[in-house]
Amino acid sequence: MADRSLLPAVFWCLLALGAALLFGLRLAELWPAGVADTDGVDLSRVILIYSFLPRAAVAIVAGAALGLSGLLLQRILRNPLAEPSTLGISASAQLAMATATIYAPALMEFSIGTVAFAGGIAAVALILALTWRRGLEPVAVVLAGMMVALTANSLSAALILANGDYLFSLFIWGGGSLVQQGWGPTISIGLRLVLGLAAAGLVLRPLAILGLDDQSARNLGVAVHASRFAVITLAVWIATTVTAEVGIIGFIGLAAPALATLSGARSLRQKLIATPLTGAILLWLTDGLVQLFSGPEGERVPTGAATALLGGPLLLWLLPRLKMFEWPSVSASTAAVNRAPRPWLVIMLIVLSMLLATGVALLVGIGPQGWQIASGEAFNDLLDWRAPRVAVAAATGGMLGAAGVVIQRVAANPLASPEILGVGAGAGAGMALALVFGATLGFQLAASAAGALTVLGVILWIGARAGFGPERLLFAGIAMNALCSAVLTAMIALGNQQSYTLLRWLSGSTNDAVAFDGLISVVGLVLLTGPLFLATRWLDLLPLGSPTARALGLHVGYSRLVVIVLAALMTALTANYVGPLSFVGLIAPHLARLLGLGRARQQLAGAIALGALLMVLSDWLSRMVAFPYQLPLGIFASLIGGPYLIYLLGKGVQRHG
Amino acid sequence: MTVGHLSRRKLLAFASALPFLPETSHAAEPTIATIDWGLLEAALAIGAVPVAATELLQFRKIAVEPTVPSTVADLGLRGSPSFELLRIIKPDLILISGFYEYQRPSLERIAQVLTLPVYEAGKSPYPLAQHSTLALGERLGRSTQARDYLEQTEYDLANARSALAKVAHRPFFVISLGDSRHFRAFGADAMFGNVLTRLGLGNGWQETTNYSAAAPVGIEALVQAPEAFIVIVGPLPPGVSRGLDENALWNALPSVREGRVVFLDPINHFGTLPSARRFARLLTAGIESLPHG
Repeated sequence: MADRSLLPAVFWCLLALGAALLFGLRLAELWPAGVADTDGVDLSRVILIYSFLPRAAVAIVAGAALGLSGLLLQRILRNPLAEPSTLGISASAQLAMATATIYAPALMEFSIGTVAFAGGIAAVALILALTWRRGLEPVAVVLAGMMVALTANSLSAALILANGDYLFSLFIWGGGSLVQQGWGPTISIGLRLVLGLAAAGLVLRPLAILGLDDQSARNLGVAVHASRFAVITLAVWIATTVTAEVGIIGFIGLAAPALATLSGARSLRQKLIATPLTGAILLWLTDGLVQLFSGPEGERVPTGAATALLGGPLLLWLLPRLKMFEWPSVSASTAAVNRAPRPWLVIMLIVLSMLLATGVALLVGIGPQGWQIASGEAFNDLLDWRAPRVAVAAATGGMLGAAGVVIQRVAANPLASPEILGVGAGAGAGMALALVFGATLGFQLAASAAGALTVLGVILWIGARAGFGPERLLFAGIAMNALCSAVLTAMIALGNQQSYTLLRWLSGSTNDAVAFDGLISVVGLVLLTGPLFLATRWLDLLPLGSPTARALGLHVGYSRLVVIVLAALMTALTANYVGPLSFVGLIAPHLARLLGLGRARQQLAGAIALGALLMVLSDWLSRMVAFPYQLPLGIFASLIGGPYLIYLLGKGVQRHG
Repeated sequence: MTVGHLSRRKLLAFASALPFLPETSHAAEPTIATIDWGLLEAALAIGAVPVAATELLQFRKIAVEPTVPSTVADLGLRGSPSFELLRIIKPDLILISGFYEYQRPSLERIAQVLTLPVYEAGKSPYPLAQHSTLALGERLGRSTQARDYLEQTEYDLANARSALAKVAHRPFFVISLGDSRHFRAFGADAMFGNVLTRLGLGNGWQETTNYSAAAPVGIEALVQAPEAFIVIVGPLPPGVSRGLDENALWNALPSVREGRVVFLDPINHFGTLPSARRFARLLTAGIESLPHG
């Protein structure tokens, strides 16, 4: 056994060696061999001292800092998925910086770090406030965090779209860059890292106890809330400093603690040492590879996105291999919700609201003279424009709702959805590859369907190997999502005509929908959700797990395959129209369940109608709020659905005491 | 020289008379809407004021010239303009460039659509802008104005060329800053690169570029040509100028130490002839304002 436990250490040493090798190669290239230009200034030495060396240093300290921040957050919130990205801390810091840049430039001149910290701490405060009544229960916290992250991302995108030179900003926005021209950022991040490590060392005992539940911690005499807030603030401060100095570096905060644990770090003390080291090695190696593949005309992939290209497969590979997680299961306490006494009445009410929203979207709009209700000839005229959009919105919303129900039931996981598991992003990656070959629309659709199916297949396969552990499935999903998003970011960074197409696709808009699109999506809705209603027995049985389902006479493999293919096709079709980021596929099934629609048939019908309602409303709002400037669709879907979902989650627990 | 003078005099007289020409003389002219900024510039340059255009808030801040009259309706984002509003305004002709070809099916339901090239991969933007301005002039019955504008632009560039002759021995980096660590370089295939050539100046950025501007590059790439002038095209994001002051590598660049850095007001990066003229004018003024030229 002794040699087996050494394996991870050897593995990480090899990775570190690889990073050092890349560093050494570049160093040898740059080593000033007495080259002096005519002014007598040794410019290669300037590059070495002010650019090359600080870049390696900042990669190491930023990786370590993000790892530490993730570890602290996971510890305090007792949540294996908590980290700066999933909690929306980085995204909110970015939003705060984007907002200040446009509306309060003086603040940015004063201190970028303070602005970023304010954004990050606001995100955490919001999440804690929303989930306090649930006792910071892991699922609720991560749901709230993802809502905050998504909303912040959409708002940043809207700000950039409405105010700036978006191609350039989006490149930097989409992924942090470690390019350095001095030692400032290294010192700034390094200082926080040292302070953070020292503080974590000081509160090691209380920190270990905080990993227990509240009652035990209180019995042991720890001031639970005060210590929690102090450590959370510290973690946010570390993470937002990184965001302010180098931008968003995804994935390290999630992957480093998990990989450290997977590699055998058991005690908190070991983790406090192993996690920052893991983060540092990951980021250093990633950045070395990014530099290796960059030409004189710039880098092909921003380092902040490339972390997913390296860390994603690593996590996917390690995930099924090792036992992990002493945390309570994330799905433990979401099951019980009161069933509605008259479910079909609830569904009728949802359908009515949906029809009402459709009516508003068709009739009410803003013209040159302000608000107006279209009538007579003007109505007929505008109907040409509005009807296809509303049809596309309603049909895509419905399909996403249905896909969400299928995925949540097959995975037996309340957090699973086409958006979170990266199925939408997979469709996008498929489309991106099709675009490279200048393909036709039909080919693009086929490629995005293939992408969606591949992602969903891989995740469920990994999940199945690990016995469908809900955390593992989510980890795999987040890794796949990050991986596909990195492919998209890399494509967008190329800055050509295809990049433009992808950018438009990412932000999601029904603006260009014509009657044909409306027809296609409605036909898609009918053809793809219709069979699901015939298969509701499968959907009722699949969440019970394979043995039970099989005992009840279900052909598990076959039925699972059929519904998964349907879900992937629906996700690909919708992603083609409204982008991958709508979150309707997550929200609608939850809302349906929390409204008391428990059985598969009812939940499916409810989720389709709710999805359509959400999407029609979001589409209409995205056109009206900043008229004539159109905002991304995803903003309003998450702004309407998110808070309501959190409210219902809280209510559900109270009802059961 | 005499020819230049004559045509210039004629031209100036014509240009100053333009705003006062009676409306009726263009009564038959179609009303136009533009989706592309470069074509908005071109239309305004030849005196054809569109009824609607896109992202005017941003245009007035970033492109600045030509001035957009307040009568022009704002259609919203270039990538997703409000088709409903455009439908209500109902122009006779809609101008797009290749970028917006995907909007054609929707736009064609409103009015006739004219695609004029503004930027195309592998083509020099300056001659392309000349071509499109002439084509637009022809379509709108403003061929004379279009030809005159081309001539006026050439004249301005020739003037700027002689004013800049004293610095022509040095290469020029024309860049825009994304933050205090990254810049985007305008290569030989960008409008600014084309104008540099016409001004008799060498481009410091010799690498290939994509869509006329490279992906963001670290400031350290400017080390390549220590003798160069660095021309920074606005707008400058907030915090960047302080960031540059604190940037050790930036301050170590010979161009910076020796004061060969020029900050220009915002100019449309993907503009047509008005942007080219604005760039030449601002660049000349910027160089002349330096202590030692």
